[in-house]
Amino acid sequence: MAPNLRINAVAFISPQNHPILIRTFAKQDEHSIKYHYIAHTSLDVIEERVSAGGKATECYLGLLYAMEDVAVYGYITPLKVKIVLALALSDSVVKDVEVTMIFKALHMAYYSAISNPFLKLDAPTESAHDYSPYLLVGSPKWKNFRQRVDEIGRVVGNTPNPASTT
Amino acid sequence: MNSYPPELLAQLAPVMFVAGLDVPPSPPPAKGNDFGLLTHRLREALQAQRKVAIWQPEKAKTFQIIIVDKEVRFPPRKLVAPDDPQYSAAHSPLSPLTPTSPLYPDGLIAPIWIRKHTTLVPSVFVLFLRIFEFPPHNAHSPLDPPDTHREREKEQEERRRDTELAAEVALRKKSTNERGIKLTVVLMASRKMLDDPTLDARLTYIRRQSGLDSRAALFVLSPVSPGELGEFVKSLQQALYEPALEYYTAHSKRVRRKRNRHSQAVSYPNPPPGMPNIARPLRPEGWTVRYEYKMACFAEFRGEDEVALKHYQDAHSMLVVMFGSTAILPPRTKRWAEAKVLADCINVKIAKLYLYNNEHALALSHHNTHVRIFSDFSRGWGIGEETFEYWSWIARQNRIFAELLDQGTRSTLKIPIHKPAPATTSNAAYVQNLNNPRGSGAAGATEVDSLRLLGINPSHALQHPGFYYYMAAKCTEMRRERFLAALEMEQSQKLVVSSPGFANEKKVDHLTIILELYTKAYELFKKYTPQSPSQSRLTLWIAYRIAQTYYDSGKFDMAIRFFERIAKTYRREKWGSMLRPLLATWYACARELGDVDLSVKLLIEMLGHDVGETEDPTSVEEDLLAILKSTVPSSDDVLVVDLTESQPIFDSNVVFWASEVKVGEPAAFQFSVAAPANIPMSSLPFSSLTLYFSHSDYPLVVRHQDAEEAYPSPLLQRVDLGHITSSEFSQEITADLRWPLGGCIVFSGTMASDVPITLKVSKVLLTITEGTWKVDVPFNPCGFRRGLPPTSRWLSSLDPPRYIPVKREESSSVNVIHRPHSLAVSLSHCSPAYLNEDYPITIDITNMDDRDLDVVVDVLLPPTEIDDAVNTIVLGDETSSNFIKGVFFGSLAPGVSVVKTLHLTNTGAAGDRVVDISIQSRTLGSAADPENFELHDTTETLRTVVVSTVEPLKVTQTIVYRQGLGEWPGLADLRTFDGDFWDHNQAGEAVVNTRIECVGPFALEVESIRLERQEHERAKILECSADDITDDLPSEYHAGDELAHVCLVALGSSEDSDEEAIASPGEYLISWRRIGSNGELGPLSTSVISLPPLKPPVEGLLALLSVPPAAVLHVPISLTLTIRNYHPSRSANITVQLELDASDGFVVAGLRSGRIPILLPGTEEKLTWRLIPIECGQVRLPRIKVTDRRPDGAEQRPDAEAKGNSVKIVDVRLDQAQPPDGVDALQGAPHSEQEMLGTVLVLP
Repeated sequence: MAPNLRINAVAFISPQNHPILIRTFAKQDEHSIKYHYIAHTSLDVIEERVSAGGKATECYLGLLYAMEDVAVYGYITPLKVKIVLALALSDSVVKDVEVTMIFKALHMAYYSAISNPFLKLDAPTESAHDYSPYLLVGSPKWKNFRQRVDEIGRVVGNTPNPASTT
Repeated sequence: MNSYPPELLAQLAPVMFVAGLDVPPSPPPAKGNDFGLLTHRLREALQAQRKVAIWQPEKAKTFQIIIVDKEVRFPPRKLVAPDDPQYSAAHSPLSPLTPTSPLYPDGLIAPIWIRKHTTLVPSVFVLFLRIFEFPPHNAHSPLDPPDTHREREKEQEERRRDTELAAEVALRKKSTNERGIKLTVVLMASRKMLDDPTLDARLTYIRRQSGLDSRAALFVLSPVSPGELGEFVKSLQQALYEPALEYYTAHSKRVRRKRNRHSQAVSYPNPPPGMPNIARPLRPEGWTVRYEYKMACFAEFRGEDEVALKHYQDAHSMLVVMFGSTAILPPRTKRWAEAKVLADCINVKIAKLYLYNNEHALALSHHNTHVRIFSDFSRGWGIGEETFEYWSWIARQNRIFAELLDQGTRSTLKIPIHKPAPATTSNAAYVQNLNNPRGSGAAGATEVDSLRLLGINPSHALQHPGFYYYMAAKCTEMRRERFLAALEMEQSQKLVVSSPGFANEKKVDHLTIILELYTKAYELFKKYTPQSPSQSRLTLWIAYRIAQTYYDSGKFDMAIRFFERIAKTYRREKWGSMLRPLLATWYACARELGDVDLSVKLLIEMLGHDVGETEDPTSVEEDLLAILKSTVPSSDDVLVVDLTESQPIFDSNVVFWASEVKVGEPAAFQFSVAAPANIPMSSLPFSSLTLYFSHSDYPLVVRHQDAEEAYPSPLLQRVDLGHITSSEFSQEITADLRWPLGGCIVFSGTMASDVPITLKVSKVLLTITEGTWKVDVPFNPCGFRRGLPPTSRWLSSLDPPRYIPVKREESSSVNVIHRPHSLAVSLSHCSPAYLNEDYPITIDITNMDDRDLDVVVDVLLPPTEIDDAVNTIVLGDETSSNFIKGVFFGSLAPGVSVVKTLHLTNTGAAGDRVVDISIQSRTLGSAADPENFELHDTTETLRTVVVSTVEPLKVTQTIVYRQGLGEWPGLADLRTFDGDFWDHNQAGEAVVNTRIECVGPFALEVESIRLERQEHERAKILECSADDITDDLPSEYHAGDELAHVCLVALGSSEDSDEEAIASPGEYLISWRRIGSNGELGPLSTSVISLPPLKPPVEGLLALLSVPPAAVLHVPISLTLTIRNYHPSRSANITVQLELDASDGFVVAGLRSGRIPILLPGTEEKLTWRLIPIECGQVRLPRIKVTDRRPDGAEQRPDAEAKGNSVKIVDVRLDQAQPPDGVDALQGAPHSEQEMLGTVLVLP
């Protein structure tokens, strides 16, 4: 019954609020900038939720807002990397469990991507604020990360909703 | 909301007409006029009860009160008079069945119908009237007889007036009765009148005459205060609320009857086909809509929101059915447009009623469904998504919803926060749902709950109205786009679209609407985001849209003001992909305004951003060149485009090879400037690159010089800057400053400093010169595009390009430090040190440097944890127990060394001592500037010496105590009272044996051993072996050598301090020198060995046995037994027995058994026996038993009296009591006394 979730875009944002990777799955090229704005504005809501939640904040921040044709969901990793998911807006209940699952997959993708030791090849060693790999991982030089993210986007788009098959 | 008839949107409430409160429009009546004032206040109070509004969820039994004329007439129910025979067949003037009705023949509901019920027909009618009051008689005194004439006159007049009043009321009652409207009369009377006994009768009369109801139909009101008036208005409304509800219920019933009748009437004439323009009567669906809508309205009047909601929904769904068929509602007709408006308004009402109940999801769900259904219809009607009509309608829906929320949030509506449910519960619910798929029907309610727990439908998540305003603005943008497309089509194809909508659309100022909507959204976003400066991204995004709209509407200056503000944040957040389109539009604004300076600035900043895939990458460069070539700057000043805040054009970095260099030593560095690979800028006329250094006020300028070769600049160039001195003039060199796509220029050079400092490139300035333009572009020397941190690498080879990574955190700066001084420091000493020894440590410092150095030494002796350790250090003239600072060792020329000896003296216990020595060297003359310590060329050399310290001599001391053998002075002996009387017979003596052993690794030469006596009232050193042999002491002791000294101490008795030990009565002073390994003698040291504290045993009764050690056979000897009572206060009752055994070797003459006189404290008694030895050899003494018959005070045992305590007998020849360290020594009882006694050697 419920249609599959469709991911329009995924954004990874560094703890310093710089974009790491913004991946758009929608076809139209002209709209890709739109997801930059969405990712950027989501930071407002994410910061609000995080500061309201205090220390007990869970990673999954839920629906941040719905605007135009997308519903924007947020997730913050323990190391404060923010993941923003723009789902196509459809008139159906989006189960938090499923969104959390996607987020966890994305988080794992990011996690395994930054585990790449070669990311730190050019970085100064023993640097105190060593955030370069977080930004580098999304740079065009490294394909692994975006391939994983694309894979997640593809899998989510294709597999039927597990709850709706019953 | 203005686009819809307000009647269809406003919240309905029961209507009350109030008549009889006419006041002249003049200012409020004066004080004296009570009733005028009352009327005025009543009008005010009544009119303040309720305001017509869309959002009004309170149900406080308030009426919509309308003040009318007394003679107001209700609109006729039907067009024909009631007495007309056609009356029953006729319909209301607003019915579609009435030909003159605006709805004839097939209209649904007109706003006028609502208006009729809100303004023309009330549910209750309140009539204010004055009751007649006979003017009071002035000269009326209680003593006067009742004026019967006047009374009668008054009665008649009152009756007449009351009848008139009742007639007036009856007339009104008739008209209200026709409509089923409740009539209530309020009679205004003076306060005095209330007390009139005739009032009740008069009121009853009036009510009967006028036919008023018995309940809540007649009130009397006298002029009261505004507060009480408010109470009255409130109670009036409460009393009339129920009749009002009845009135609307009656209407509902009537309408329901009609609807039921209608739904049964099936037959309906179909219009002849092919004649669509002929008016057809309203279809049954239309009637259903009509009736449902009316019932909904009446329910709303009654305040029954749920019922109203139900009817509105029915009306809405029936409307949807009607729209579904073009036969029922032909599109683009007047009725169709009316129905659409009605549907939209019903949708708003439904959403509102849901929101009253805080059912956000249902409200949004209905709203979305409405929008979706009508969007689908629109496609069928030819006004689909490609038309401006469609977007206009969508925008209107969003806007009205936003306005509804806006109104709601101002009173009761709360916007929910869509936080996810706690993970555990939602998971549990999810699992439960999985286990129980499509469970039993009973689980329906819980299923809904669990679904809510599982997640939310994002399109049903209510957000603050700003979002809907934003959507409305977005849709209006789409509308404008479609409209412009249509306009273009019209112009290009010369097609005159004659649609009236299009003509109307041409008059619409879309951009103003968009701006208005965005501005509203902006304000709401601002209101709903916390007031934190960092969290303004949503509002900035709206602001960006506003700026875009300003740009579209040609208000470029306004747009620029917005852009300036937005760009500031976007730059800070380093989100270049958003900044780039903003800059592009900004630049377009600047170009439109002809602001060349700003254009140049923006174009240069745009060079720093990657272009979008659709854009031409060369456009920025071309535009910039075109502007530079074709225009002149607005002023003669150099235009400065500061890129330090924004994204740099080039990836630039400064790398120093080493992390630190010595003073004067050249530090090699490379400054690389790399152009991006996707933005061409090879033709930009860079004229110079200026490098500023932190250590020099004068920059280095690299001037552009075209490459000699014709071919384009190589991808990687290296420019040698040479050595950059901190000279007082600018240096200049030339290089090719053109960057091909992805090209990189590496400037390499060296710099040096004469003072310690951190060297770095502080600023870089690129200058573009073209014609009269001169543009300075300062940027950070280390900065990469995309906000990436610079990677440090050293260009080691140009062809092929090879880099060596420089892995250092601060690779873009270098620290210049002083050359460390070369000093050879050696510390020599012969460990271990002896305690109390003056221990020399030799400090030998040699200047190995080639400079003259001043050397200063600090010595620190940290406190040790060893007990009683007082250590001192001596260096030169200074002595301290912890720290000696700044001992000047002199200025050392190269190769010169200086030696000083540090003396360390350790006392206390053995253990390790630590000495920290800090040697500071300073070049001569560097102290010229005492202010700036940074520049002092000093080097500190630290050394730590651990000196293990041992005791030179090991001392063991033993003490034995003896009883004094001399005769005790008598109790009454006067000598004992002298102050300096000394008798050690009573306290005994101590023999101290001191054994001194040389243990250390080094031999000692002992110069002297002396016993230093110390005054003590209870101890006196009688003699000492050290006294005799001072001079010819064997002086050299090696490890293991021992020396013993004995010393005899006489103890004095004391009355008060029995238990206290006697402090050391003296100490040995041993002067010695260390004999070094090569035989030389060390300095003289003195060890002090104290005699141990003395603690003689305390005795009570003691018998001292004295016998000569040897005797000759058959020659008598004396055996003396001295019984002493040491006890300070107890006397003793002593019996003595001498038991002679057959085996004894003596014949005894003397007392065998007897009692001696009572022994007073501090006295002694002597008994003597004569013994004749009769055997040779070691002969045992006969057994003597001394018993104290007096029992202890503490132990009153019966048998103690008989037995007594035996008294210890001590053979004075063997008297060697150890210090009292146990019970044994005190009592000595368990041993056989006989064994303690010695034997006598009998010789033949």
